[in-house]
Amino acid sequence: MAYKPFDADAMIDASAPLLQLQVAPEHRAGIKANLKTASKMAALVEQMKLEDDAEPAPVYRA
Amino acid sequence: MKASATAAEIAGDVKAGRIKARAVVEAALKRIDRHNPMLGAFTEVTAERALETADSVDAKLAEGGDPGPLAGVPFAVKNLYDIRGLVTRAGSKINRDNAPATTDATLVTRLEAAGAVLVGALNMGEYAYDFTGENAHDGPSRNPHALDRMTGGSSGGSASAVAGGLVPLSLGSDTNGSIRVPASLCGLFGLKPTYGRLSRAHTFPFVSSLDHLGPFARSVEDLALVYDAMQGFDEADPAQSKRVNEPTAARLKHPVPGRRIAVAGDYFTGSAEAQAHVQKVAKALDATKVVTIPDAQAARAAAFLITMAEGAALHLDRLRSRPDDFDPEVRDRLLAGAMLPAVWIERAQKFRRAYRDKVLKLFTEVDVILAPSAPMTAPLIGQKTASFGGVEMPLRPHMGIFTQPISFIGLPVVSVPVWLEDGALPLGVQVIAAPWREDICLRVAHQLEASGTCVAPVARGFAEAEVGAA
Repeated sequence: MAYKPFDADAMIDASAPLLQLQVAPEHRAGIKANLKTASKMAALVEQMKLEDDAEPAPVYRA
Repeated sequence: MKASATAAEIAGDVKAGRIKARAVVEAALKRIDRHNPMLGAFTEVTAERALETADSVDAKLAEGGDPGPLAGVPFAVKNLYDIRGLVTRAGSKINRDNAPATTDATLVTRLEAAGAVLVGALNMGEYAYDFTGENAHDGPSRNPHALDRMTGGSSGGSASAVAGGLVPLSLGSDTNGSIRVPASLCGLFGLKPTYGRLSRAHTFPFVSSLDHLGPFARSVEDLALVYDAMQGFDEADPAQSKRVNEPTAARLKHPVPGRRIAVAGDYFTGSAEAQAHVQKVAKALDATKVVTIPDAQAARAAAFLITMAEGAALHLDRLRSRPDDFDPEVRDRLLAGAMLPAVWIERAQKFRRAYRDKVLKLFTEVDVILAPSAPMTAPLIGQKTASFGGVEMPLRPHMGIFTQPISFIGLPVVSVPVWLEDGALPLGVQVIAAPWREDICLRVAHQLEASGTCVAPVARGFAEAEVGAA
């Protein structure tokens, strides 16, 4: 999945009430910038092929 | 006692009766008093407790007892470690409203049991979500090698205190690079042990999946001594391994052959400045092999997402009730982290295991992989962007590009300090080994120190500051 620009404002407006978070106007630009960075990071991770039996590592043991 | 004295030298002198632990601690307290206003390293000094502890070390010696391998050695801890009687602020304004800690962090207890003397708590980036060493509430910790420059973060005060000669040892934490980046920028040896090796009990967390604790020092012997003193299972940390203690200090002089050491290629060669430092280390070790750590960019991305989401979950109530009391840069990343789709995080966690399996295969061919600890030497305090591969990028997240793919799967690392020429700023190199092989990281670091390739001096202007000598 290649990175595609998305509507970060819509994401903030949809999720903030669900999370009971108040988003002050002066916080919005910073949140948007971080969501855009995160979406690029997620696109990189999605390029990694995972088998159906792949196990997560929630409590990681090296 | 000189500012440049190592922990091993101090403990040797104290045990031989050449100096009292109390005199060592009084000298450290004087140095803190004199230099901390300039460095911003300490946020709290525990002078009364330190003098009492020092007196108990001296009393034990007077009775013919052995106070331990770190007898009379002053140390300090990042202010996310619990210190009995103090509020654990974790670099924040909000946590200052919490009750004081009723117990010490496990690692503080372990070091005092080995004879060391806690002298205070150290500045850090808010809630450890930081690579700069700046703090919106306490002001920045400053780099003793260039006071207008960053220490690196988030364990910035921990690095400043040791490079400035205030103490020979400090403890920090490393989730994505917060020990290795400050060690790099301040020219110190720093150890990030294997994930699960040391107890994190009674410290303020950040990202449970990725949090590690570890030490800073100016000599590899000191790093090994303090690490050995902190090992041991503690059921209070559910992520800790039950692995037996594996002491390292007595085995430092066993070299690792150059043919078993490789440089990390591809992704890790993105900074010419950092590569020059890596090459100096590789040459000193006769390491000519190059290996590719597969999918490192995706590993960094996955660590980034897990950090955002776990950090947000930890701080959600505070984000709801006191958003304006956060450092704005930290708050906006955490608010965004709360909004990430759950599937992104689950896939990042699944990828972690797959990536681990691939990387561990490399350790059948080599014992050590070398990679930069940071993409550049210390930036100016307040600097917001820097050139990465010719492109101007936000500085803050990019300081961890070379550390994040390594801590993501918990590999042990010693960051060693490298100076290309006299008067230059240092840059660190990660000496990376397979899980549980801290001994190999420390042996290679010791080899580099013995050959003069890596040194961690007290910064000029602080080194000669001898106060309260016995």
